[in-house]
Amino acid sequence: MKTDASTSKHGDRFPLDPRNGEPLAPRAQPGYYPGFSTLSQQSFWDAATREVVRKRIEEIPPLRFFTPNEVRLMEIVCEHLLPQDDRDVAHRIPILPFIDERLHDKRTPGYRFEVMPPDGAAYRLGLQAIEQMARTAHGRNFLDLSWREQDVLLKSIHDAEPLPGAEEIWARMPIHRYWGLVVQDCVEMYYAHPRAWDEIGFGGPAYPRAYMRLERGEAEPWEVEEKRYEWRAPNDAVSDPSVEEIAAHKEHPPAGQGGTH
Amino acid sequence: MQRLEAPMRRHAPNEEVDYLIVGVGSAGGVLLQRLARAGFRVVGLEAGPFWDTERDWVSDEKGSHQLYWEDMRITGGENPLVFGANNSGKGVGGGSVHWAAFTPRFHPSDFEVYTRDGVGVDWPISYWDLKPYYELLELEMPVAGPAWYPWGDPHGYAYGAHPMGGVGNTLIRGCTKLGIPVSAGGPVAILSGSRNDRPHCIYRGFCIQGCKVGAKASTLITHVPDALRSGAEIRDCSMANRIHLGKDNRVTGVSYFDRAGREHFQKAKAVIVSGYAIETPRLLLNSACAGYENGLANSSDTVGRYLMAQAGTVVLGRFDELVRMYKAPPAHALTEEFYETDPKRDFARGFAIQTVGPLPIAFAKQMMAARGSWGWGMRRQMMDYNHWAALGLLGEILPWPENRVTLAEERDQWGIPVAHINFDLHENDKKLIEFARNKTEEVMRAAGATETAHEARYAHLVGAARMGEDPAKSVVDRYGRTHDIVNLFVCDGSVLPTQGSANPGLTIQALAARTADYLISQGTTVFSSDKRDLTPPPVRRELSPPGTHGKGVPRLG
Repeated sequence: MKTDASTSKHGDRFPLDPRNGEPLAPRAQPGYYPGFSTLSQQSFWDAATREVVRKRIEEIPPLRFFTPNEVRLMEIVCEHLLPQDDRDVAHRIPILPFIDERLHDKRTPGYRFEVMPPDGAAYRLGLQAIEQMARTAHGRNFLDLSWREQDVLLKSIHDAEPLPGAEEIWARMPIHRYWGLVVQDCVEMYYAHPRAWDEIGFGGPAYPRAYMRLERGEAEPWEVEEKRYEWRAPNDAVSDPSVEEIAAHKEHPPAGQGGTH
Repeated sequence: MQRLEAPMRRHAPNEEVDYLIVGVGSAGGVLLQRLARAGFRVVGLEAGPFWDTERDWVSDEKGSHQLYWEDMRITGGENPLVFGANNSGKGVGGGSVHWAAFTPRFHPSDFEVYTRDGVGVDWPISYWDLKPYYELLELEMPVAGPAWYPWGDPHGYAYGAHPMGGVGNTLIRGCTKLGIPVSAGGPVAILSGSRNDRPHCIYRGFCIQGCKVGAKASTLITHVPDALRSGAEIRDCSMANRIHLGKDNRVTGVSYFDRAGREHFQKAKAVIVSGYAIETPRLLLNSACAGYENGLANSSDTVGRYLMAQAGTVVLGRFDELVRMYKAPPAHALTEEFYETDPKRDFARGFAIQTVGPLPIAFAKQMMAARGSWGWGMRRQMMDYNHWAALGLLGEILPWPENRVTLAEERDQWGIPVAHINFDLHENDKKLIEFARNKTEEVMRAAGATETAHEARYAHLVGAARMGEDPAKSVVDRYGRTHDIVNLFVCDGSVLPTQGSANPGLTIQALAARTADYLISQGTTVFSSDKRDLTPPPVRRELSPPGTHGKGVPRLG
C-alpha cells in the first residue's frame, strides 16, 4: 500500500481509515458489497443489453474532440470530480473517453440553456477559465498546482464563488450551468459502468429473469448483503462535506435531468 | 417479448390519403388505430424509428438515449425547462415508450378551474364528456390499480394492483402515519397479470428505459399492431418540416425528410398534428405562409403559448434500513389527497405525491442538484444509494401566455429552425410548489427517513395549441379541429387548456379516442365541406383493439 501513496506526486490522495488515520489500500472493488458482481449474472440478461455493456467495457472510444493539451487538463479535472484513488489502477472506470465521444458526435441531452454556448464550446471555455484562475491565483499552470490547490480551485466553481482570473468567461457562461454540465457527464459515464453498479449494490439488468424480492430492501439470492466500513476522504480533498455543510447547500435552478415521473 | 409481425400496407407515392398524422406517439397511435379500423386510408409520419423492442432496447440507463428526443432545443426564461429524457420521446410509441405509466384521470374540477377558482381557463368540455373514454382507455392499455380509488370522480380498476416495492412502501408508511389516504400498486398502465400476448411485469425497474418485457403499455404495443392490421401505414424516421396550404384555405399535405435526408411530399385530405407540446407548435410555426404569416392556424396568436409543465420536485429520504429502490416500477403508489383547491391554503389548485424510483445515474444527478455532491462526496452518497427512497410531488402549474414555444435562429440537422422555449413560474406556482415540497418532506420523515433532500424539477409538457370555444383565444375547438382551417387538426398534449395534477398520458389517449370518434362520425364531410358540426359523436367501443372487451376480460359492474 505504502508504495502508491508515497510515490504519488500529488501527495495525500487516498481515503483514510478514520480509526488510525492510515490510508486505505486501493481495492479492486470499493463500496459496501464485497464480492457482488453484476457481470457474473450476465448470462441471465438479454443479448442486446449484454452487448451494450460489453462494448462499454471493451471498446473505449478514442479521444477525438479534446486537443492533447485539453486532454491533460480534463483528465485531472475528471479525477477531482469523480476521484477513483480507492480503486486499484486495473479497476478504474474510464470517464473522459466517453465525454469526448459525446462531444465529438455532437450528441446533446436534448436541450441547451439559452445562456450557454454549445456543450463543446462550454467545455473548452471552462478549461480556459480553470487555467486563467490557476495563473491569477497561484501564478502557475493548473497542472502544476498541488492536488489540494486544484481541488480548492474546482470547489470555488462548485460554490459559484470562483477564484479570480476568469471573470470575463463567467460573465459569458453561468458558472453553475458549466459545473452542472461537467459533473452530470462525469456521473453519467461513471455510474454506467458495471464496476460502479457493484460498488453501490445496484442489481443492474434483470430482463428476462426478473427481480423476485421487492420488499424491505431484501437482496435477491444472487445479490449480496451490505457490509459497511468507515472511510474519510483524503486529506488533500475538499469535496466531501460534513453533514452541516450539506445542509447549508444552496439550491441552484433545476438541472432536472433524471427523467422520473 | 414483443414481435410485430404484421405486414404493412404501403401507399403509392402520389396517392392522396384521407388522414395524415404527424407523430405516432400517445395520441397518434390511438388515432391511427381508430381511423384505420373505421376504414380510412391513413398514414402516420414518425420522426424516430419503428422499434424492434428485443433488438433495440436495453436494461441500461446510458444505453437508452435513443428513446428520447435529443435533437437541439433552446431553453430559457427564469425557470428553464429541460427536455430529452425528462419529457420527450422519439420513435413509434413516442412518450408512451419512456413514460413511467402513471395513469390517474383528471378530476372533474380540472375542466373548470376558471369558474371555480378564477385562475387559468375552463375547458370547452367537461369531465363527463371524457369519462367514457377514460373507461375505454383504462381497459385498452389496460390500467392496473386498486378496486377503489377515492379521489376526483371515485372509481375502481379492473386489473389488479401491483405488489409493493421499497419506494411504494415508503409512501404508504408515511401517508398512513399522517392519516393520509394512499393508492397502492397503481393506477399504472403496467400489467400485473398477463393479457392476450403480453406478459406481466417482472419488476426490473427499467420502465423509463422502454419496457422490453411488454408489460408496460405503449401505443407501440397497445394500438399500433391493430392499426397496421387494419391497413394503416407508418413511415418511421420521417421528420415533418412543413404543412402545405392549398386553395380554399385547406391544407393539402405535409412535406418531410426521410432517413436519408430526401424531402418528400405526402398528399392528404386532412392533416392531424400529434407531435406533442414542443414539436406541434414548432411545425405549425414553421408552416407560416401567405395568409398565416405568424404560423399556420395561428390567427389567434396562441400557437406556442400557454405551454405547461407540472412541478415535479423530487424529495429524497435516507433510511437506516435498505430500500433498494431500483426494484419494481418507479410508478407504484400515490396520493391525491391534496389535489383540490383548499381555501385554507394561500394558493389555488393542488398537487399529488407519487413514488419515483431513480436508477443510479438519475439519482447521482439528483444528488448533484439536491446536495451539491461532487468528488468524494458524490462517491459517498452513491455508496448509500440502496438506503434512499424518492417521492415526487406532481403540482399544477397554471397556463401563462409568456410560457411559450417560438422558433430560434439556429437550425437542426434538416435545416428546420429549432424550438426556443421560455418558461417562468408565477406567484401561485411558487407557493404551491413550496407547500407541496414541505408536505412531501413531512411524508418522507413520517415514513422514517432520517435525512431528506430535494431537487426542483418539472415533469410532462402540455399546452401550446390549446382548445377552446373562442377562436380569438385558442387554436383548436373541442374536437381538436383548428379554428382557422377546417381540415387541419391538432391532437396531443398540446391541446390541454390546463393540466391538473395528474400525469397527462391517459388524458391524451382518451382525447385521441374521442377525436377519432368525432372524425369517424363526420364521415367524408371533413374532406370536402367547410361545415363545422359540433354534435357529440357516439362512443364506439367496438373500435377498441381485439381483446379489450369480452370473455376473460374483467368488467366493473
